[in-house]
Amino acid sequence: MSVYRTGDPLDRRHFLTAAALRGATVIGTGALGTGVIGATALGAVDADAAFAAPIRPLDPAVAESAFAEGRITAINDDVLEVAGSYGDHSRIRVTGATSVWKARATTAADIETGDGLYARGLPLPDGTLAADAVWVNIVNLHATIRGIEKTRLHLAHGHHEIVGNLMAETTNAAYGTASPTADLSRLAIGQSAQVLGAWRPSDGSVDLVRVAVPPGAGRRR
Amino acid sequence: MSALIRDLAPLVLAGVLGPAGAGKLFGRGTARQAPRTALARLLRDGGRAARALRALGAVELLLAAALLAAPVTPLPGAGAALLGAGFLGYLGYARTAAPGSSCGCTARPDAPLTWRAFVRAAAVLAGGIAAALAQQPWWTAVARRPAAGPCLVLGVAVALTALSADPERHWRMPLRRLRLRITGHPLAATGARASVPVAATVTAVPVAATVELLERSRAWQSVSRVVRSALLDHWDDGGWRILQFAGVYGGGPAARPVLVLFAVDAAASLDTVREPAVRVSVIDADSGTPVLATV
Repeated sequence: MSVYRTGDPLDRRHFLTAAALRGATVIGTGALGTGVIGATALGAVDADAAFAAPIRPLDPAVAESAFAEGRITAINDDVLEVAGSYGDHSRIRVTGATSVWKARATTAADIETGDGLYARGLPLPDGTLAADAVWVNIVNLHATIRGIEKTRLHLAHGHHEIVGNLMAETTNAAYGTASPTADLSRLAIGQSAQVLGAWRPSDGSVDLVRVAVPPGAGRRR
Repeated sequence: MSALIRDLAPLVLAGVLGPAGAGKLFGRGTARQAPRTALARLLRDGGRAARALRALGAVELLLAAALLAAPVTPLPGAGAALLGAGFLGYLGYARTAAPGSSCGCTARPDAPLTWRAFVRAAAVLAGGIAAALAQQPWWTAVARRPAAGPCLVLGVAVALTALSADPERHWRMPLRRLRLRITGHPLAATGARASVPVAATVTAVPVAATVELLERSRAWQSVSRVVRSALLDHWDDGGWRILQFAGVYGGGPAARPVLVLFAVDAAASLDTVREPAVRVSVIDADSGTPVLATV
């Protein structure tokens, strides 16, 4: 059986859970200071990594990865046609082994024409980029919280007013240096925040993933 | 009523033009702000735009003084109407030539071009025409109608404040703060949920916190060479959170696609655990069999 995201998801997850729990237990934190936290041989893999340049691998067995960004103009089976911001064009191949981020870990089925993306992967001889990771509509911006409602935040980014949609189970807040929490009750109007989320091309709003508030920043102005 | 509006127009218009003119003429921000205005685009020079803005400020102040002192003379009103017409033309130009720039209309540092700017300019034009038609000085009009006069001036002042370039900061944010104080924080429930897990299936720790913990773990470092993708999938099962990544095991022709699976305590985060215990497994992507060996 293939263990990628095909077939009955419950069966697949059941199988993979058993496999994961059979694995060796490794205790402890990594040797910090020796490299980028969370890095693989090709660079970091969390959502922030979408904006980071790929690392040149030190291991000669690992091929150097490439990077592409732009708007999706067409989707032909597993190949995304992407018009880059600087007039360039790339073709990105998405496989079962490609991670797809669109506000959360999802599948290629969620990718739509008109979406923006950042992709990292290996250039193939046919000119396509075999994507290891794709981040769809990802935005990371500095904003001020201007309003708080049950289902959304009103944010100001420069002159632009942005509606940030709160997503149950997904939206989290990071207060100062503490780790992300589902507790959004400490967000306050007037706070400045670094916002990571997925832009919705249909209405220009942003599905909020992480609202990071610096310690005690802009609490009352 | 229309006669009252006509007679009070010089007073209201002076109240609008005076502060705006003083801000442009004496404001420290004018030189800093000028290069960002559409005027700088029109004059092709930030310094020239600053001088033009200051000159405009002086004209506005003079007009305001004339409107206050000689309200029945048609000249100041006509001048203000001309100014309003000029503003409208300039805004129309700025809208097409430099839509993202500041208009430099009021004394504010950043007043982006919105419909409010157009309404303000149209109000100056209309106010100018009304002032030019004034039949008696505003002080006489107020003295004759001691109730209606001040009420009208107050109403217009409120309307003009609402049209000011940055209403958000001035009244919408304090209002929203006040509402939150009265009704309570709309997201207070998320705080309660985060501190007390409701059921075994609902964990308080977001996936982002688990990933953060994982990425700083020794387990991650032991297999990071193999991992190629970002987080492919994740789910909770029996108190564990399973995180799935895709990777490549081995090099050259022997390289084969693998899945890298981590099992982490679903309730753990960097805030609660110093030495995370993480189970790691690498399995063949096609067969599902474990790939054993040191990685």
